[in-house]
Amino acid sequence: MERIKIALTKGRTEDQVVPLLEAAGINCDGIRNKQRRLIFDEDPRYEIILVKGPDVLTYLNNGSVQIGIVGSDILTEQENFQYAMLDLDVGKCRFVLASTKNFNPQAHRRKIIATKYPNITKRYFQGIGEDVEIIKIEGSVELAPLIGLADAIVDIVETGNTLRENNLQIYAKLQPVNTKVVVNRLALRQYQPQIKELIANLENANQQMVQSKLIKE
Amino acid sequence: MMKNTNLPSGTRDEFGIEAEVKETIQNKLFKTFRQRGFRKLTTPVLEYSDVFKPLSAEDYRPYQLLDDQGEPLVLRPDLTLPVARVMSTTGIELPVKWYYGGDVFRVKKQLSGSYNQLTQAGIEIVGYKGLKADWECLEVALSGCKSMGIENVTIELSHAKFVDTLIEQLELPDPTKDSLKQALFAKDLSKYSQLSQPLSDTQFGRFLGEWPWLFGNFDTVMAVVETLPEIDGLQSIITSLKSTAAFINQLFPEANVTLDLSIPSPQSYYTGMAFRGFTDKSAGYLFSGGRYDDLLTNFQNVKTSAVGVAFDVDALVERTSLPDDQPGALIFFTSDQWQQAEETLAKVPNSTLCLTDSFESAQRLAASSNSRLIDLTKSR
Repeated sequence: MERIKIALTKGRTEDQVVPLLEAAGINCDGIRNKQRRLIFDEDPRYEIILVKGPDVLTYLNNGSVQIGIVGSDILTEQENFQYAMLDLDVGKCRFVLASTKNFNPQAHRRKIIATKYPNITKRYFQGIGEDVEIIKIEGSVELAPLIGLADAIVDIVETGNTLRENNLQIYAKLQPVNTKVVVNRLALRQYQPQIKELIANLENANQQMVQSKLIKE
Repeated sequence: MMKNTNLPSGTRDEFGIEAEVKETIQNKLFKTFRQRGFRKLTTPVLEYSDVFKPLSAEDYRPYQLLDDQGEPLVLRPDLTLPVARVMSTTGIELPVKWYYGGDVFRVKKQLSGSYNQLTQAGIEIVGYKGLKADWECLEVALSGCKSMGIENVTIELSHAKFVDTLIEQLELPDPTKDSLKQALFAKDLSKYSQLSQPLSDTQFGRFLGEWPWLFGNFDTVMAVVETLPEIDGLQSIITSLKSTAAFINQLFPEANVTLDLSIPSPQSYYTGMAFRGFTDKSAGYLFSGGRYDDLLTNFQNVKTSAVGVAFDVDALVERTSLPDDQPGALIFFTSDQWQQAEETLAKVPNSTLCLTDSFESAQRLAASSNSRLIDLTKSR
């Protein structure tokens, strides 16, 4: 049987998803002790590659991998058209509109918004009928309103600590974000039984994780 | 900066063996179409953008430009709608069978590795209502793959009306029906199971539990469909799918027939069966088609039966093993030997005229291109 190739977002998503993969019966010893490797084939059924979030979709859309595990922020921003089949209860956070205390959301002027996510920002402001100037920033978006580059930012917030530490506050909550399992449309047909099994195992592992968290709380 | 040495992102040059294989495949397809009594229909690359209104904008972002009157034009993103335009404006007598071939253009995401110019070749059968017309398309599609030497083709059948007919029967508020349909189409299992949960104890329960996975082996999928209560309009869909599967099994026993009852209609104008073919290894579909009796209603008030199928020629090329470059022969001759050279050229397979003036450079060329050198000057 041919191996199913999975592209996993490296970094925080990887750290949170690996325990789930293990709970679903997938050998992740290689990823836990990876050194400089990027391809992991410890489990005979799967080949897991570690890539950056936006690249997960590039590999998936080209059919180079069958499955991607990536945040919904990236799926929305990149206008994903593959099957986002399963929600995992990890990587949960939210898009927010944030700025300094002096920001007035009702001000009658064309606001300047800094963000790493121009598409999501555009859609949000289109939705509320406002036209804004969007500036794309690659990182440390919090700086933009502090330094005077932008009136406000649209960014992902998990705990809100970074915002507070930078004296920023939330003015609007946008859509929630979580990690999703995405499947290439054609691959789902080519590898139906294997993918069905993997999804079912991951779904179980996810439910068990949610339940054990509830018990702890 | 001058961009005279770059290609726009998403385009490519094709040359040598790959371009030749593509041409061979196209010619082979055209020949089969003609042998079956189809007539050629060629439409322009530039059309008014209104022609393509029925296409969903997400899948087919066209390249747009303005004509000298300021009217929006597009490079055609599709080859079926132009056929519909021709049919609805020319009063051609029905029924008619067309074939076409050419490139379609779709804006793809920059730097994503996808191509924006795709070659298609296909047929449209207009004016026949019955299943026989659908079957001729299937015959053309499957025998086409067979003649290319492409084996283990999976043919996936679906039906444009199945999902709507069934969802209509569910006791859910209309907005929920719509969300359920969207979740089903997106295969968003988390949302789907949440929305279908209230119906799990009804007579639809078993079916709804399986629905997002309702694709694959024809008989397995049909077995799940048979758990459904009797529904108006569903029986005729099931009958047509079953008889089509039987037809394929009889004529193409080596083809793997699958059924997908969980996908949306490929475009809004599809009205009946839809189908597409792929192999285990391909990263895309080899062909796709179906029945679209609503196709012409975008151009005229009268419904006209139409069914068609198109090959993705680039996908066929990808699945064809490229022949090795045969070592050729170079014919060296002096200019007064031209006629003799022509005769040799006609006789010796894979030969070409060597146009150098000196024998030494002919020798060098033969050595560097790994060709045999035929020296006609010796035989003078």
